[in-house]
Order: sequence, then structure tokens, then C-alpha cells
Amino acid sequence: MIATGTLEQDKAYLWSKFKDPVFDPDTGLDSETIKANVLKLAEELKHLPHPVVKARAFEYVARHVRIDVNPHDWFVAFGCYDRWNRPLDGLVAKWDREVDDTRLTTLQLMQNLKQSGACGMGKDFDHSVPDWDALFALGFPGIRQRARSYRRRRQDSGQLTPEAEAYFDGIEITYTAILDMLGRFRDHALKHADGDERVLACAACLDSLIQGPPTNTYEVLQLIYLYFMISEYVDRLQVRSLGNLDRTVYPYYRKDLQEGRYTEAQIREFFAYFMMQFASIANPWGHPFYFGGTRRDGQSEINELSYLILDEFDKLDICSPKLQLKISPNTPTEFIDKAVDIIRRGRNSMVFLCEPSIKRAMMGYGATEEEARTCDITGCYEFVPRARGNTTIVAYLNMLKPLELALYDGVDPFAGIDLGCRTGGLDAIRTFDDLHAAYLKQLGHIIESAIRCANDFEQHLNFINPTNAYSATIENSLATARDAFHDGSIYNISSILTAGFATAVDAMMAVREFVFEKQELSLQQLKDVLRDNWKGHEKLRLRMLQGRSKYGNGIDAVDFYAETLSRFLGNKINMRPNGRGGFYLASMHTPPRYYLTHGQKTGATPDGRLAGEEISRNISPTMGMDINGVTALIRSATRMDSALHPADFPLDVMLHPATVEGDEGLVAMRTLLNAYMQRHGIAIQFNVFDADTLIDAQSNPDKYRGLQVRVCGWNVHFTDLSRKEQDMFIRRAQNISG
Amino acid sequence: MPTVVPLFEAKRFAVHDGPGVRTVLFVKGCPLRCRWCHNPEGQQSQPELAYYEHKCRQCGECVAVCPQGAHAMADGRHVFNRAACIGCGACEEVCLGRALKLMGRPVTVEQARQIVLEDCEFYADGGGVTLSGGEPLLYPDFCAELFTRLKADGIHCALDTCGAVGWECFERVLPHTDMFLYDVKHADQARHCQYTGLSNRQIVENLKRLAQCGVPVEIRIPVIPGFNDDPVSVRALGLLLHGLPSIVAVRLLPYHQAHSKYEAIGCPDHMPDADTPTPARMAAIAAQLAESSGQTLR
Ligand code: SF4
Ligand code: SF4
Repeated sequence: MIATGTLEQDKAYLWSKFKDPVFDPDTGLDSETIKANVLKLAEELKHLPHPVVKARAFEYVARHVRIDVNPHDWFVAFGCYDRWNRPLDGLVAKWDREVDDTRLTTLQLMQNLKQSGACGMGKDFDHSVPDWDALFALGFPGIRQRARSYRRRRQDSGQLTPEAEAYFDGIEITYTAILDMLGRFRDHALKHADGDERVLACAACLDSLIQGPPTNTYEVLQLIYLYFMISEYVDRLQVRSLGNLDRTVYPYYRKDLQEGRYTEAQIREFFAYFMMQFASIANPWGHPFYFGGTRRDGQSEINELSYLILDEFDKLDICSPKLQLKISPNTPTEFIDKAVDIIRRGRNSMVFLCEPSIKRAMMGYGATEEEARTCDITGCYEFVPRARGNTTIVAYLNMLKPLELALYDGVDPFAGIDLGCRTGGLDAIRTFDDLHAAYLKQLGHIIESAIRCANDFEQHLNFINPTNAYSATIENSLATARDAFHDGSIYNISSILTAGFATAVDAMMAVREFVFEKQELSLQQLKDVLRDNWKGHEKLRLRMLQGRSKYGNGIDAVDFYAETLSRFLGNKINMRPNGRGGFYLASMHTPPRYYLTHGQKTGATPDGRLAGEEISRNISPTMGMDINGVTALIRSATRMDSALHPADFPLDVMLHPATVEGDEGLVAMRTLLNAYMQRHGIAIQFNVFDADTLIDAQSNPDKYRGLQVRVCGWNVHFTDLSRKEQDMFIRRAQNISG
Repeated sequence: MPTVVPLFEAKRFAVHDGPGVRTVLFVKGCPLRCRWCHNPEGQQSQPELAYYEHKCRQCGECVAVCPQGAHAMADGRHVFNRAACIGCGACEEVCLGRALKLMGRPVTVEQARQIVLEDCEFYADGGGVTLSGGEPLLYPDFCAELFTRLKADGIHCALDTCGAVGWECFERVLPHTDMFLYDVKHADQARHCQYTGLSNRQIVENLKRLAQCGVPVEIRIPVIPGFNDDPVSVRALGLLLHGLPSIVAVRLLPYHQAHSKYEAIGCPDHMPDADTPTPARMAAIAAQLAESSGQTLR
């Protein structure tokens, strides 16, 4: 096979594929027409159950969306490439509104939680991982076939209720439409190939996927990409992991090499083009796949293909896909070093997940050892039993809000909303213990309210967006004839996330230090100062900002308090029944949006923070507050029991590039990883400062107080350096990140 | 009476000062006055107040607490009279700009041990503690006592020395030290004296004796533009090291300007302006040195 163009020549096409691609209008309808027709169709079919209506709408899109098979690419192109304008958006939004308007009883409460900034909430259709192994083994036709046999079984035993029938109809229509769509792609390719060998190869690949399961590396990658696009862009359910690629693709890779079907160079090329798809989509959350894991015999899953994929990723110099590495003591040092080396060159889109700690956390909620060992890594750094669990994120707690509510007796000072929990205000707070009790009561009340709301709306997930394409891949869903993203998985998990955890600890500790211990001011005075956003009290603000009791510095009393709060979260949330036959899990993860938006809705806080400023994220310290270095930070973070946060427990570690130079730098990063793993940390992400961050540190020194520059024999805080010396390090960082 | 030393910094997660990840304790006081010294706050043994002028917020908090009246506000600007300062550290606590830092607080052996033990989980890959400075061998009893205790804790103990102390100091710590980091600057006595204030005679003699003791030694050579980076100096250094046993590696440390540190402690910086040698330059010198010394370069 001769490739038509080189990757370099094709990059222009690939980068524009999800921004402004060009489609032949003869291949289908424009997206506005499709969206309008979908709504019309849904109106005509409104007497039918939702899985069927949605499947018909899916079928309509599959038949009419514009398509392309381009000589500049190994992968096909969908005319519905715009994530913010998907063909079924209108339909799902309509059903969503219907639920809001007619079925929910907690809408006002949810509105209050959101507006006050106490808790972000929402229905989540962004975190699915299909059973990739089943998709590989069966292919699209086999998935349909398997669903048919489950349907027959049910029919034979007299259990094909109308609801079950709708469920299977939805799958039947969807997968038939998928196969037809593959046929459209194939025929288009054959018609327009014009002798182009790559287009012809793509046609052959599609033909094979229409006939049965994938048979080689190229077909398997095409299948992943097709499923991803079909689920995310057509069926409107986001795919949050491309799977354990080095494990799943390995047999095809071996076979291709052995049988001489493809050379290693060709396989590298397939992976490069494959990864470029996701780089080109360029969603800020990144599209992850993961490496590694442990086989049944205790050996690492890392193999030659792991190295090959990482190599190609490195060469592309892209930041999506986001790579995740499942590590354990069996992970080859060489592989970790290779990953770490990529990170220290400024590529921060890689995260490590510690298998032994994941196992503790998952088995703690009832997963088996096997389920914990083989769990999928998904999303940013979440983990879920492979093919047996779904996870939704339903709530995002603002850990600072309960403190404001404690000071204002349950009425949020930001939007003036009464959240309904009376703790007596300042009169009832005479000691730090009183404040702590009021804080927890307010926090508990927010959690209870959030759970009430989520229980209410999550009952209707399958009404709003039945997930036909996804459900068909999940065996338990087929066996129960229940939507796999609703209650049809074995583990139907809703997670509650947090934002501002460290900032809340800092704030509580600052009150303890300045109000109750040093008695520099009364609680009433503090409340007034905070209300006025520290105006006229800048010195006090700086003193409280620089107080000694900040999370992330390995200080016993502070870490103990952090541990207390984290335990409360875990105890309050974990294993509570959710609205769809599963349970809640606590998570310490903070998505980027929420440390900003929650911050915007939070007034000044006693840790010295100004009103509206961002709050901390994950289990990481408040920006600039960890001044004792990374070892102290890891000690602080892992003083908390990660198993209490089985939905996620991620730490961000900032390192100066000079710290991690040379062989010693590799050893150092590996040591941090191992220590974090040994102390039961779960996810860890290293950010090696790039030149831009250092420039930011130059103008915002308060946020970077902890940033240390270290080279042989000496060590200095970046902000202590003169401007000229800082410039020198910026120049050096520029050289490192190229 | 517990043995006490002035400590000016505990550097955690140090990766270039001995094997693995280490905690480096920097003690104050040094017999040498190297012109290029990048830890000038380690030279004097008495405490010194570092003042980072660019971080000062002109808040005036320091004025009230200083028993010596060393801080004053004039026309809304903060002025520091270093001559009056006795290094009590009171002003560091109240400074709102984090512009003041007391260099040199007394620590006991047990306090130092606790600092080191806090990070013991990070020493897995052969890491441990490194005593550095200043010159730790100005306090041989402290070093010996700390190492004795830490070795009982299973911690790898390294000592970074300039060698300009009596041999009896080495004898005191030798039984308890797992590794020496030994700084060598120049082979030529006169030039050494001119740039560091002392002849290298004692340093070279101690090194030769130490090399016979069987404890691993890593040689550390600061590469200082205009002082020891010329081919003649490099070759002479190489010959000095040639054939010495126990040397596990020779490490070259590129010169780094430390002007802001000098400014902070109000100490004149006599080092003429020089750039950090480029990696290529460092590699070239390393090659020359490897050849003339016959030792392994890092
Ligand atoms: S260290 Fe003590 S003597 Fe020196 S300036 Fe500060 S308060 Fe005054
Ligand atoms: S306390 Fe610090 S910031 Fe304030 S005037 Fe003194 S040196 Fe400057």
C-alpha cells in the first residue's frame, strides 16, 4: 500500500477537519436542515417511546448527514463535526425541557443552589465508556446480532414488555443505521477514489467493518474513531475514553506484523493520523485513552505497542488526546521514564493513576478485585468498572459557601438567596468548634439538597436521552433491557465533586488562628471586613493571607483539619442511593470551570482571598500557598484517605523545569510518583512550568510563592530573584519547551 | 548541653546533591570566601537578615517590632539600617511582603533529625540527607551526632565539604558518613588563594587522605568563567584528581549568578559579570577533564 501524502502534507487538512471542513453538498443535507427535520420527524413520531424516536432521528441523520472520505486522511469525515451544534441537540433539549417543566419537583431548589454558587448541578451525558472489548470482538454487525439474541431470549421467556421492546427497537434501528452509514462512506469512497490508494484502502476497511468485527490495526482504529463520532456527534452521548489502547490493539498489531500485513512504519502512521483526529477536535477537556494496567497473572500490560504509541504522540507535539497511565509497582521503569521525559519537556497533558490505591477505593464500594484491576480510566482522571459501570457527575460543591452561610445564618450573601439551613449566625458561634459545627451543618445541608435535586432529575435520564448506541455494547444492559447510562449497568454511579477544598481549609484555619487564638479581631469584625472585600484592611488581609496555617505545607494541625473535612464529605456522600438504582460517590475532582465560577460567586474569604477570585482545585493547595515544596504537599494531600473519594482523588504538582533536568530529574519524578502511590494517592499530574507561566509569576508573585528554582547546590524561590535573574530562567524555560 | 548549629535553609526534594532525592541542610559559616559563591548567606556564622527590597510593600510593620531600631520609614519608604541589626528575627514574622528572612536559626541535632525524617518516604531510590553549607565540618560534633542518629534510622548520610578544615574534623565524622561531596576549585595555590581567600594546600591534602579511607567521594567543581575554565586550569584539576581511589564521580557545576542573594544580605558581590556556561561549553570542559583525570564525569 502506498500512502498518498505524508503526515506533514496532510496536517493542514487534519487541523481543519473539525473547524472548517469542506463537504460536497451532493453527499447530504446541511446541518440546519437536518436539525429542523429531526424535530419534525420527532413530532410525527411523538406517540412512540423515546428510544425509538431517538433511533429514528439517529437514522435520519445517518442517512442525510454530509460525508467525506478524503485522500488526506485514513479516517472518514462526518458532516456533523461541530460539538456545539449537534443534530440531535434540539431533540434532547426538548425532552429535557419537558422533564423540567412537568416532572421535577426540585427545580427551584436546584436553581437556588446554582445561583448562590453553593453547588453547580446538571444532567450529565458526557461520561460514557463503551465496552470496547465487545465492540472489537463483535464489530458493529455482531453488536446488533447480540442484541437480537437477547431480545429473542426475552421474547421466548415472555418478558418482552413494551418497554423492553422499545429498548431493543432503539438498538436495532440505531445499529442498522450505523451499518447503512458505513455503506454510504464505503460507496462514496469507491465512487470518488479516482485511483487513490488510501481512499480505496479506507473503502475496503469500511466494507470489512460492515461484514464483521475488525481484523487488523487499521480497522480497529477506524472502528474506535467511528464509534466515537457516532456516539458523541450523532447519538449525543460523549465518549470519555478511547480505552486501554496498548492492551486492546496489541493482538491486531502483533498479527499484522507477523503476517506482514503492515510494517511497523505503517502502523505508526495509522496511530499518528488517529491521534491527529482528537488533536484536531481540540476540546478543552481532551479526549483520553490510557496505557498500562495489570494482567491477571500480575504482569504489566505495558508492551511494545505502548512505547510505539507514546513515541508517535511525542513526535506529534499535540496536547489532545490526553494520555493516562495506570501505574503500579509492576510498571516498567523505562516506560515511566519515557512518559516523564515527555512531561518535563512541557507537555503537561499526561496523568498518572495509581492502581493499588484505585483498588482500595473501588473495593471499598463493593467492586471485586477483578473489576478494580481491570477498571477503565475515563474523563480527566476518573475510573469505573470496565463495561460494568457508568458514572455521571451531578453536583459540584463549593467548599467555601458553607462558611459564608455559617456567618449569615443560611442566607447566601452573594445572591441573597436563603438556602434554608439555620445555624444561628454569629450569636451561636463563640468558639472555633461552634464555627466548625455550623460549617459542617451548612455543608451537610447543601449536600442533602443537591442529592434531593439529583435524585429528582436523574430518574429521567433515559427519558431525556436514551443511549441506544452505548447500551448495545453493555452486556448487563442487554440482559436487563435497561438503558446502560441510566440503570442498566451493574454500577450506576453518580458522583459529587468539590471545588475550593484547600481554600476552605485555609479559610477555616485562618479564622481559628486570627479570631479564636490570637484574637486579633472578633468574628463580627471579620464578617464586616469580608463583606467590604477587605477595603481599608489591606494589612490584615496580607497577614491572614500569609498566616502559617495553610494546607499543602505538611503542617500537622492543618492536615488534620483537611482530613476531617474530607472524611465528612466521604461519609456524607458515599453509597447513598441515587435516582437510578445506583449510588453516589464522593470525588475531590474540580473541573476547570468550577474553580473559576464558584470563585466568582463567593465573597472575600478569611484566608486573605479577595471576592470573586478563583478557589483551589482538586486536592491541590490554593495557588501560591504551598511554600514548603512538593514533598510537604504530597504529605499533606495523602494524609487524607483517598478511598473516601472513590470517584476521584487528583493532585496537581507544579515543578520548575530546572528541578527535573537530567537523569536525576527522572529519578526525582519517579520518586514522587512512588511516594504518592505508596501513600495511597490516586491521580497525580505534573505541571512543569513553561516560560509563559514563569512570565505570569513575574507579574503575579503572590500566586507563585511556592515556586522554587533548584539547581545543583542551590535553591531559591523564583519570586526572590531579581527581574533580570527571573528573565534568565524564563529564557531557559523557553529553550527547554522549544 | 545539646549541640546547636545555625541553619539557614532546609532544602527538600533536592535531586542534584548526592544520590536520589535528598533533604539538604545548609549550615552557616565557611572558612572560604569564594568570589562566585552562590550561597553568600552561608559565609558568616552569625545570623543575618536577608532583605528582598523588590518585595517590600512599604507597610512599616517591621519598624515597631525591631528592638534595635534597624527599620524606619522615611517619606513613606522603608529604609533598613543593616549595621544596627542583630539578627533576632522578630521582623520576619510581621513582614507583610515576605521581604525579610532571617538566615541562620539555631537547631539542635534532634530538631535537624526531625526535619530529615519528615521526608523519609521520599528517600527510597538511594536518597537521604546531605549536610551542606557554608561548611558543615566547622561543626564536626554536630555532624557526627546527627549522622549517628540518622544512620540508626536507616538514612543515607552525605556531607558536602570545601575541605578547608583540620583533618581531625574528617576523622570525627568518617565513621558515620556514607558519602562525601568534596568541592575542588583550582589546582593552583596562588590562584586559589586569590579567588577564595585561602590556599588550597589543606584542601588537597585532606582530599588525598580522604580518598584512602574507602568512603565514596563525589568531586564537585564549580565551573567559573575566567577562573578555572581555561584548558590549563582544567588540565591541572584533572591531574590533581588522577589516580585517586574512592572517587565515584566528578560533577561540574555551572556558575550561576547569585546577585540578588548578595544584595539581600547586603554583601558586596565581587564577582565580575559572567554568564552561566552553556551546556555545550560544560560538555567540552567535562570531556577535557575526563581525559586528564581518568575519572567518571557526571
Ligand atoms: S532581625 Fe531583629 S534586629 Fe534585625 S532588623 Fe529584624 S527585628 Fe531588627
Ligand atoms: S514589614 Fe516588610 S514589607 Fe513592610 S516595610 Fe518592613 S520590609 Fe517592607
